[in-house]
Amino acid sequence: MASDNTKMLLEVKGLKKHFPITGGFFKRVIGHVKAVDGINFYIKEGETLGLVGESGCGKSTTGRTIMRLLEPTDGEVIFNDPNLGKVNLASLERQQLNKVRPNMQIIFQDPFSSLNPRLTVGDTVGEPLSVQGVASGSALRDRVAELLREVGLRPENMTRYPHAFSGGQRQRIGIARALALNPKLIICDEPVSALDVSIQAQVLNLLEDLQQKFGLTYLFIAHDLSVVEHISDRVAVMYVGYIVEMATTDELYYNPKHPYTEALLAAIPRPDPRRRHRPVKLPGDVPSPANPPSGCYFHPRCRYAEDICKNERPPLRDIGDEHWVACHFAESLSLQGVPRVSDIPIIDVPKRRDTAEVEAPEI
Amino acid sequence: MSESTTQTNSVAAALVSEDDVIRVQDLRLNFYTNLGVVRALNGVNFNIPRGKVLGVVGESGCGKSQTGLAIMQLTPSVGRYEAGQILFREFASKEPVDILKLDKNGPDMRKIRGNNISMIFQEPMTSLNPCYTVGAQIEEAILLHQTQDKTESRKRAIDILQKVGMPNPERIADSFPHQLSGGMRQRAMIAMALSCTPTLLIADEPTTALDVTTEAQILDLMRDLQNEIGTSIMFITHNLGVVAQMCDEVVVMYLGRVVERAMIDDLFYDPKHPYTIMLLRSIPRLGVNRDMRLESIKGSVPDPYSQVNGCPFHERCPSAIPGVCDTIMPDEIFVAGSQTHTVRCHLYT
Repeated sequence: MASDNTKMLLEVKGLKKHFPITGGFFKRVIGHVKAVDGINFYIKEGETLGLVGESGCGKSTTGRTIMRLLEPTDGEVIFNDPNLGKVNLASLERQQLNKVRPNMQIIFQDPFSSLNPRLTVGDTVGEPLSVQGVASGSALRDRVAELLREVGLRPENMTRYPHAFSGGQRQRIGIARALALNPKLIICDEPVSALDVSIQAQVLNLLEDLQQKFGLTYLFIAHDLSVVEHISDRVAVMYVGYIVEMATTDELYYNPKHPYTEALLAAIPRPDPRRRHRPVKLPGDVPSPANPPSGCYFHPRCRYAEDICKNERPPLRDIGDEHWVACHFAESLSLQGVPRVSDIPIIDVPKRRDTAEVEAPEI
Repeated sequence: MSESTTQTNSVAAALVSEDDVIRVQDLRLNFYTNLGVVRALNGVNFNIPRGKVLGVVGESGCGKSQTGLAIMQLTPSVGRYEAGQILFREFASKEPVDILKLDKNGPDMRKIRGNNISMIFQEPMTSLNPCYTVGAQIEEAILLHQTQDKTESRKRAIDILQKVGMPNPERIADSFPHQLSGGMRQRAMIAMALSCTPTLLIADEPTTALDVTTEAQILDLMRDLQNEIGTSIMFITHNLGVVAQMCDEVVVMYLGRVVERAMIDDLFYDPKHPYTIMLLRSIPRLGVNRDMRLESIKGSVPDPYSQVNGCPFHERCPSAIPGVCDTIMPDEIFVAGSQTHTVRCHLYT
């Protein structure tokens, strides 16, 4: 799928995850929720791919299916393991999978439910190390202390339980646990959406620092488009279980090629009071993944839709410069992105003044 | 508390306009808990001019939601007002009433709550009663305040559902909250809040739990209704994009105090208080600070049980003046050359 194969860390090809719907007296399968329906994307080593979409579009299911926390229905997940080479995670046996697992980790959204309340922080962070048999005894304790220091917590906290920590600190514990085995790929499933605004900045900065230091690769799943713009090198947009557009962050935000991306970007409230706008409303609601429309899933809400859109589902194709779009009219439409420039100055925090030179403020 | 004991400092007095819907003066609220006293609000001053949208911004625990609840008299029972008044004026010609002097459960307060002042809560999932249909919950307020006629109230409920952009309002009125999506539930909440055409609407993070496309719809709706009915809105949020698009004026709160108050343009283009500046620098803003490293405000909001000397922000403030900021509480003063922009910081005295 991609041109430069040597740098690929993860390639997802035609991945599907369908959940059966059962009904009737005998609990027969009467349909499927197509949560993830044949998606293709790739992540290069050392980059951050943002995965955005509305709630219920299958972002988290994608993350979990890649990790094999959910069994995929169909498709391939090629992971470039540093020891084993290229392996297809979707069809690996348990034993083999356990050998690959240390290289891919996940950080969960809710820092309140993703830590076991009965385990101390030391046990939680150390668990991957003991499960994989990497360290034990004092070596394990040293490693846990080092990890806690790495994420900005004090090693003394090792003996405390999760309830004693705030949301931001818990998310740091979750990050330390993910880092324990020196993974290559970390799937961040909405890591900051449950956090307060100023704590959000701390965690985003931490993730960026760790990426630089350890050469990590992130799949960053989020619904906040401003956060994704800030942290991602490339962004993929999902709609009802299908990737509709994937491009570099600049390209996607300033020069979108899919009508859904345009609508999504237009809906973001601009942080500039001098430029107020009322976005064009998207008609209708997100269709149910159990009963999606024919052809292109977006056609009932798309203002550019034509007859072909009702019948044929457009494939995700490269229209140049690694800009992938699933739209029949990607080349001919001229769509609006977000405005590139903003007049808002970034103001510095005022300098500390000496008490001696307190004077009347000038206008 | 009598009029004379209520302190109103000169700046707050200078800012009030003739026709304020609500005027909060020196509001102090303490919670007496088993673990100690939590000082939730420490002298909050602000006013909302009629027909305007006031944004309230701050980290969690700064008292923004408690201020909203205080106006509705919905403060939890462990809370006690130590001082202050909340003057509510239903229309310009009417004498203002001090909401805090009214009996919480008395007929006067009940007449105001849900009728003249109504509130949209943050969580559309938990704020609706799962046992009643959406229509019945909207009708409850209409039957209580507006009309006794059941067919009339039903008609009005369906009307308002139509107005908030619900497809097929008759069906929605007969459905239960669990049958609706998050965006639709929030629209039902808004319909409920607007059913009695309130003078003041308090919106406590109404779009935080929603997707951007739904958020845009809800904001659009609130703007339309504001234009149509002339409702004043108190908009509690930490989404700066929403603030920029919706609000006329903004107050920034920190630890139960208003630290900066400005017209919307000044807040984004000329913020003064170090806390406001750092808050603006810490939030990813589309197209503004993409390549910049986010500012992280060191530490976190102080423990609510403790009492901080001097300026409450001095421990986290990079420009704190030793010997001044940690001992003296700064007063709210006007920024030089402005009649509308106030700040509570020693750097500008």
